[in-house]
Amino acid sequence: MELRNRFDVGVFAILVELVPPKGVDISGMLRVAGRLADRVTAFVVPDMGAAVMRLSALGAAMLLQGRGLRTVMQVCCRDRNRLALQGDLLAAYAGGVTSLMVVAGEDLRFGDHHQAAAVNDLDLMELIEAVGVLAAGKDLSGAPLEGAPRFLCGTTVNVGLRDAALDAELDQMHCRAEAGAGFFVTTPVFDLESIGPFTARADIRRLNLVPTVMLLKSLGMARYIQRNMGHIHLPAALIERLQKAPDKTRESLRIARETITAIREAGFKGVLISPMGWEDHLPELFEHLE
Amino acid sequence: MIIADRKPLEEILEMVHDCGSILLVGCKGCVTVCNVGGLKEVEILAATLRIARKKEGRPLEVAQRVLERQCDPEYLEPLRNDYDQFDAVVSMACGVGPQFLSEAYPSQRFYPAVNTRFMGGAVQHGVWEERCAGCGACKIHLFDGLCPIARCSKSLLHGPCGGSAGGKCEVSAEIECIWDKIVRKKMENGRLADLRVFRPAKDWRTSRDGGPRRSIREELVK
Repeated sequence: MELRNRFDVGVFAILVELVPPKGVDISGMLRVAGRLADRVTAFVVPDMGAAVMRLSALGAAMLLQGRGLRTVMQVCCRDRNRLALQGDLLAAYAGGVTSLMVVAGEDLRFGDHHQAAAVNDLDLMELIEAVGVLAAGKDLSGAPLEGAPRFLCGTTVNVGLRDAALDAELDQMHCRAEAGAGFFVTTPVFDLESIGPFTARADIRRLNLVPTVMLLKSLGMARYIQRNMGHIHLPAALIERLQKAPDKTRESLRIARETITAIREAGFKGVLISPMGWEDHLPELFEHLE
Repeated sequence: MIIADRKPLEEILEMVHDCGSILLVGCKGCVTVCNVGGLKEVEILAATLRIARKKEGRPLEVAQRVLERQCDPEYLEPLRNDYDQFDAVVSMACGVGPQFLSEAYPSQRFYPAVNTRFMGGAVQHGVWEERCAGCGACKIHLFDGLCPIARCSKSLLHGPCGGSAGGKCEVSAEIECIWDKIVRKKMENGRLADLRVFRPAKDWRTSRDGGPRRSIREELVK
């Protein structure tokens, strides 16, 4: 079932982030996707996430779509001007991609090509608007299109903010929804209670909120998140659980499974699983997931 | 120096539409030299605004001041006593001016009366041209004193594109192809071989792509 339809009828969507390879060997990506296809609504293909150069999101999404696998193609503002963005959006739709996730893109200094020039011709809001303009059958110069791409266009939202920063984020989210954003993928969530201030003020069903569940690959990673990422709340109890667990991998998958179940029970429309390189553990995660 | 153009009168009038009084602040720096925001231009704009608003039947009180520079906090002090006596302050400095003013006097509204264009110089009386893109890693010497980053439409660093014809750029017959000039100069000086050197892709971190830039001179920092 298409992601759009899932959101419409309220069938819980399971999205999995699938990072394209850094190179031309796509066998690993296809193997992972093939193994998970039955359990996954769509694969979210990052557009050079963390500003690391990889096989493009457009290329990867088309390769997956061509094999009958549904994708949500990420599109970031950082690397292309409005001509390239529009051209790639047309190419994606013509190639079978019907869902997008638009993002601003991390700064180049966080990636592996520090010396590159960022583009940022359109900002996130302008890109969401542009997707709407294309859907209306025009390009950004007003010229008519031969066939219009009608994407379901999602974007991101930071649910871990507090006080004035949360007010601003909520305001921005509602603006983006009005501009055409059809779903919102959240920052990683490890504890639903911690995002209470956000969910209390956002209609999670109408906005199609999709929390991200990130797999904790190690105790060190969990501690790093807790200490350094102020907007992601990782409860001390989880760290303790991992610490005490004889099989940390299994415990981490159990934590993810519990979080996914809690997200579904809380009424969210779906979840995005971010495997962080643990794609091979996902079959085990899904095996025990109701 | 920084070259600016004055905004159209209609745009400035629209900015101060709801104001009954404004303070118009010029700058004796670059914008005085390029005849856009010095004493003379402040007087002209002040008079023009008063007349335009009088015609509308809604007179505008315009006070005027010219600061030594608007890009240096100490020179903003003369406004301290009365900056808040007006509905708004309109700066005729480059884009640095209204920002420094906003930072010095956060409770006031500051509007820019000019559009900051580029770093360049006068090529004839009344005509200014861009010469520097402020990329932060000057390589002018490699191109015999002619900067292709600022002056080539595509900022090419390895020779002209196919759009160079008769010394002109494909973008407009008004624009000279700087690469045509670079090649000719190299040939004249017997240094054409310089252009056969391949240079790795430019490092743009020193340009805007590293975020807002900062220059620190340790010996001057107190």
